[in-house]
Amino acid sequence: MLELIDLHRRFGDVVALDGVSFEVEEGRIVGFVGPNGSGKTTSMRIALGVLEADRGTVRWRGSELDAPARRRFGYMPEERGLYPKMRVQEQLVYLATLHGMPRGEAVPRSAEILEVLGVAERSRDRVESLSLGNQQRAQLAAALVHRPDCLILDEPFSGLDPVGVDVLVEVLRGQARGDGVPVVFSSHQLDLVERICDEVVLIHHGRVVQRGTIEQLRASRERRLLRIEVRGAADDWFEVLPGTEAVERSDGMVVLHLADDVDEQRVLDLARAAGDVVQFGPVRPTLAELFREVVAG
Amino acid sequence: MTDRSASDRGSWRLVARRDFWVRLRDRGFLISTIITLSVLSVLIVLRAVGGESQPSYDLGGIGGERLAQQAAAFGDALQPKVRITVHTYDDLAAAEAAVRAGEVDAAMAGDELIGDASVPGQLRQIVQGVAVADRIAAMLDRYDVTPEDRAAILSDEDPLDVRTLEAVDEDRDENGAYAFIGVLLLYGQLFGYGVWIATGVIEEKSSRVVEILLAAIRPRQLMAGKIVGIGLLGLAQLVVIAIFAIALALILGALPASETPVAIALLVIGWFVLGFAFYAGLFAVAGSLVSRMEELQNALTPLNLVILVSFFISIGALESPDSTLSVVASILPFSSALAMPVRMALGAAEAWQVALAVLLLLGGIAVLIPLSGRLYAGAILRTGGRVKLKDAWRAQA
Repeated sequence: MLELIDLHRRFGDVVALDGVSFEVEEGRIVGFVGPNGSGKTTSMRIALGVLEADRGTVRWRGSELDAPARRRFGYMPEERGLYPKMRVQEQLVYLATLHGMPRGEAVPRSAEILEVLGVAERSRDRVESLSLGNQQRAQLAAALVHRPDCLILDEPFSGLDPVGVDVLVEVLRGQARGDGVPVVFSSHQLDLVERICDEVVLIHHGRVVQRGTIEQLRASRERRLLRIEVRGAADDWFEVLPGTEAVERSDGMVVLHLADDVDEQRVLDLARAAGDVVQFGPVRPTLAELFREVVAG
Repeated sequence: MTDRSASDRGSWRLVARRDFWVRLRDRGFLISTIITLSVLSVLIVLRAVGGESQPSYDLGGIGGERLAQQAAAFGDALQPKVRITVHTYDDLAAAEAAVRAGEVDAAMAGDELIGDASVPGQLRQIVQGVAVADRIAAMLDRYDVTPEDRAAILSDEDPLDVRTLEAVDEDRDENGAYAFIGVLLLYGQLFGYGVWIATGVIEEKSSRVVEILLAAIRPRQLMAGKIVGIGLLGLAQLVVIAIFAIALALILGALPASETPVAIALLVIGWFVLGFAFYAGLFAVAGSLVSRMEELQNALTPLNLVILVSFFISIGALESPDSTLSVVASILPFSSALAMPVRMALGAAEAWQVALAVLLLLGGIAVLIPLSGRLYAGAILRTGGRVKLKDAWRAQA
């Protein structure tokens, strides 16, 4: 298990991290979300040891994370970078050996990971000659080539085409489910986070404001919302019932917020009385909606 | 799974290996090697050709062939050497025809020395001198001079001892030429490979690859590996150049076969290692302070200046190796790597000066390497504009 415990960090007068704590268990995929400048990258860089925390610790498998253990992490930084003039596979072999993999193992493994990511035919090309999407895949390969014990990826999906996204989703699932690797990645593509993450950590102004499974997040924010579509009714058919409020409406369709004491069945009766009910069901907030609510305060 | 939990203390070796091989295959390296070898070849060939422009003559002989051979031997013994090649002809007519055709510069026949329009002055002096000696020998024989006395008179080529008022190493001019080439190479190698370290650091910084490198290994390991890898390449190139130059010079006959050029090559190589170790960390720091290649020139200016001034002082030391400036520069660690080998090559450095210079340089290395390691580590991950030394220092408190 990777644990970030009470991380603090300032840059001059700017407080980047103000007590960030969360953990990533073996075999779990954790989505790290938050607005720009909320502290995602800073937290990840501290976990990787490329940045020092002012206060707080990072623990790995129960003890303080040290250099030899960290060397076996896989990292994809926010600012991408490989040697522009070095050939792709040669570069992966080099990086794998830096991470402690013997050369004899690194050569076949680098070919394998390039194959998985669909850039095998570019393995002898210089990085600078690759398209942006393929550079991104090479960067991912660099994070994965040494069979890392733990994966920390900063915006791994940005810049990937839909096929690349699918491949990466498969790879991350394979790492977590298959190899039991803890995976944490940041992303602004919240639908994606919702789809593949076991847990979500939401950070804002350098603090973790929400964390848990998607379901737990929903439960914590759940409001009673109903989506109702009634054909042939007046726009304000529900207004006779106190405790209802339209959150959104369009074209015979309305999303209602119900006060705690309002019975859903009463609403249904009313709708049927008003016209033909085409659609009637609860609205589950998406991660994006939860995100907006949290950020809006 | 293999056990890979070993510590990362050896990762500088991986870095060094990459930096060595990547640059070995770099076109810039190839070009710089070719240019250096070409320039040296030109210098050596010029010197070899210059050696051939020493006077040489063709001398024909009939009856006076014995004297012609003596003249050739005498020319060989002269300093500088005068080469006389003897051609034998059957009769006077054949000899005259050869002179007329320009096959020989002159021909000896009996008591005559035959030239076309004239006989070249130096050849004439040598032949006449030999003839005079021959007559004296004949006369000595007639007066029953003992063979010992005869030999004492005729075989003593330098009857007078030469004494100069100023004591000068006879080989100084010759060694000065080697030292000049040596200091030129040293300067090019120290500065060129230093700049290569700085650009290597910037390459990693500006491409941002440094972030994933530093997630795997520590900054000091990265810096040490880079210095060792590039330094070894510089050393290898220097060794290749030295072997090439000495071999070419020997083959072309531009050098007398002596151990001096080898000794000077070893001096250059040894001082390169010391000087590079001294400057390399500073070049790495200069690279780590900036984020783009365009800014490098500025960051390198102080270092550039120190090395350039040392170079000029060393060139001056070729002329006056014992001047106060030369002596001081050859001892101070900032300049000793360039100035001391010059003074050593000229035989002007005293043992205590060499020992002190090496000691100070080693001390300088011992101080500078950890110092630059700290500055480098503090600056390498900071992007956007130039990093101040003060901030780099504090970042690693």
